[in-house]
Parts: sequence; C-alpha cells; structure tokens
Amino acid sequence: MKALGRWLTEHGMTVGSPIALLLAWEWASATGLLRAVFFPRPSTILAHLRDLALDGTLWGHTATTLARIGWSFTLAAVLGVAIGLAMGLWRRLREGLDPVFAVIYPIPSVLFLPLVSFIVPAGEVALVVTSAVTSFFLIAFTTTHGVRQIDRLVVEAAVHYGARGWRLFATVLLPGALPFIFTGLRLGLGFSLIVVVAVEIVSASRGLGALLWLSWQILKVEDMYATFFVIALLGALLSYGLAALRDRLLPWVPDVGDR
Amino acid sequence: MSVVVPAAMLVLWELCSRLAIISPRYFPPPTTVGWVLADRVAAGDLGAELVVTLTRLVFAFALAAVPAIPLGLLMGIARPVRHVVEPYLAFIFPVPKITLLPFLLIILGLGEPAFVLTGASSAFFQIVISTLAGVQTMDPRLLDVGRNYGAHGLRLFGKVILPAALPAIFTGLRLGLGLALVTLVAVEFIAAKSGLGHLVYRHWQMLSTPEMYAAFALIGAVGLVLTRGLRALQARVLTWQDDSGG
Repeated sequence: MKALGRWLTEHGMTVGSPIALLLAWEWASATGLLRAVFFPRPSTILAHLRDLALDGTLWGHTATTLARIGWSFTLAAVLGVAIGLAMGLWRRLREGLDPVFAVIYPIPSVLFLPLVSFIVPAGEVALVVTSAVTSFFLIAFTTTHGVRQIDRLVVEAAVHYGARGWRLFATVLLPGALPFIFTGLRLGLGFSLIVVVAVEIVSASRGLGALLWLSWQILKVEDMYATFFVIALLGALLSYGLAALRDRLLPWVPDVGDR
Repeated sequence: MSVVVPAAMLVLWELCSRLAIISPRYFPPPTTVGWVLADRVAAGDLGAELVVTLTRLVFAFALAAVPAIPLGLLMGIARPVRHVVEPYLAFIFPVPKITLLPFLLIILGLGEPAFVLTGASSAFFQIVISTLAGVQTMDPRLLDVGRNYGAHGLRLFGKVILPAALPAIFTGLRLGLGLALVTLVAVEFIAAKSGLGHLVYRHWQMLSTPEMYAAFALIGAVGLVLTRGLRALQARVLTWQDDSGG
C-alpha cells in the first residue's frame, strides 16, 4: 500500500494526464463541443476496436504488417551489418560508397517503390524490399561508425599480441562495434514499422496502413482511430520493448543512440 | 575513390542501358535523365515543383520549431510539465507520422494545411525530444556553479541552461528538418497534386521514367544540401561543442 502510494506520487501526473484527457474528450464529444464526426468518443472507438478484434479483421491486418516488418527488417539487418562492417574495415570501399549513400539516404523510402517495382515483382516482394531501404542505410551507417570509433590503441595492442584476420575481427573489431550495431538495429526496426505502414498506405490492400487508409476513404472515422491506436501500440512495443530487452539481455551494452 | 566509384557506377549504368542489358524503358541511361533534368529545369516546371515542396517545408519546419523549442525547454526545467506531457510524446513519437495524414485530411480537408501539418508533426516531436535531452543531460555542476555565483530564475536560464542545451537544440532542428522533408515528400507522393513527391508518383504512373529519375535526383540533392549544409553550419556556429545525439 505504501509502495503504491509512493509510486502514485512519482507517476501520478504521467498516468493522470492521459486519463484526464480521455475523460475530457469523452465529455466534449458527448456534449457536442467536439464534432463527433471528427472526434468520436473514446468509448465508441474502444467498441469499434473490440468489434474489429472480434471479427478477426484486426488480427489479419496486424499479422500481415508484422510479417512484412519481419522480412524487411531481416533483409535490412543482414545486408546493413555486412556492408557496414565491410565499409568500416576497408577505407577505399567506404570512400567510394559514402557519396552514393549520402545522395540516396535522404530520399524518402516510399519513393523507392516505383524503382523497386521495376526490378523485383510488384506486390509483396516490392513492398518488403522498399521498406528495407531506409533501415538498411541506417544500420550500415551505424555499423560503419561502430567499427571506426574503436580505439586504435586497442586494435594495435591486439595486433601486437598476434591477433590477425578472422581472430582480430571476431575478438576485437566485432565486439567493439557491437553497441553501435545494436543501436542501428533498434533504430532500423523502428524505421521498418514506419516505412511498412507508409508503403501500405500507398500501395497495399492489406496491412494496418492499408486498413487506416481504406477507413479514411470510406470515412469510417472510428476504425481510423482504432487502427491508429494499434499502430501506435506496435510502435511503442517495438521501440521500448527492444530497449528493455537489450537492457535485460545485454546490460553491459550501452545504447549509443540515447546520448 | 569518392569520385571514382559513383562515376564508375553511372558509366556502368549508362553502358548497360545503352546496350539494353537492363531495360532502357525502366532504367534510362543517366545522360538521358541528365538531359531531361536540364530540359525541365530550363522550361521552369521542375523549378516550380521544387519551390512548392520547399515552401511547404519552410512552413512545416517553422510550425514545428516555434512551439517545440519552448515546450522542450519547459519540460526540461519544470518537472510537472514533463510528467504531464511525457506520455503523449512517448505514445506519438514512435508512430509513423504519415498516419496522421488521414486524420488531418478529415479535419482540415484535402489541402495545404493538412499536408504541411503532417510534415510539421514529424519535425515537432523530434525537436521537443532533442531539446528536452539537451536540458536533461547538461552537467549538473554547471547549474551548481551558476547558482553559487548568484544566477537564479531567468538569469540562470539565459546564461547557463540555454547555452548548455543549444547544441542539442540545433541537432534537433537539423534532424527535424530532415524528417519534415521526408514526410512531406511522402505526403506529396500519396495525396498531393503538386511538389516533387507527386512528380515521382505521376511519372511512375505514366511510365515516363527519365522524368521520374530527374525528380528523384532533385529530391536527393535537396536532402543532401539540407543535411550536409546544416551539419556544416552547426560545426561553424557551435564550434565548442560536439555534435550530440546526431
């Protein structure tokens, strides 16, 4: 009881403010202060969320989106870490690819959809590849930086003690770069969600982004809010869940992105 | 190397496209794209679309930065404000901001305010979070020293807290501008009928690929100039500080 009281004084505002806002919203929409067409009552949205969940619509779309995130993140992670490591190790490769990456990176990944759909079959594959673009660059950049920031003294000491080639890489360079690789992967996963949803809005007929866009087009405003809520939940889970997982599994690995 | 590799890639693309090893319909040779780019710029219509996108960007950025910096600072100084606002930041920050577009479209109607605000929202949250981090991560000794020397209230804020948070604020502005551009171009691609993003979409639909790549190149150039330019500016203006949170 005492612990609860202490917790409440510490977090009371943080918990109270969303509750107060939701209540105020509920009241304002019910009395017509807010136009319920645009801002349906939270209780109505919740009811729609329940309906969408019960008839299975929501699960299907969520599963589709999650599968796409999984595929595109895997693609981005494998290529990003590999190329990032290579760029960190070989100066010439880095100098060569840097300007190419610098021009491509700021282009929003949704825009790659046309380009990608010329190369791979349109539809699911194009969607996954397009969604991987931004995460790939992010992961490659952080990995490169992770290799480059390793203290030269450490590397030289290791070389002195006879570590070369694979041994040097596996015992010195890779562990040294690991915190950065993890940060890159965490940021990359967050971006996978963002881009998958964006691409779904543009081109898909399934997935949470598509559900949101279709709900807009037929003006099912409550479903829009419900879908948005699920997307936000997914985003919170991906970004905070992963950070918590890292703290738990790898407590000694600092998150360089939190600086 | 940094000239050779990109040049070699362009030459290779040119050759493959000319020799029809890759389909010139989908991958027109870079020289063709270059000519189209020069042609459209000379005709003025590409420049006009660029101006549309940049105008939206300026409005979005201003709409984000003006409320975001004071809010971030206030959250950093006043604990109650931080506790009240934090849950919303935490809830909205990881959400793709493009999902706000349909909401703004139903509330504001299909038009510039909805497009610009969607772009602004992605910059807003980034700037708030960077500014807050700037205040929170400042060396507490600086505060103690300031207080010991008699700085309180506004003086402490203006002489100690703000300068200490400035690099992080600048980083937030730089990242925010980049995010606003990305979101705006995506919004143009999806919903607008003008701007560089829409240009890519239109030429994709019409399969006029040289024009599509030309718009593509222009977007990449704008992004490059913004990110590199601001980073250089930051290094010049805030010479005494490391880039934090970049």
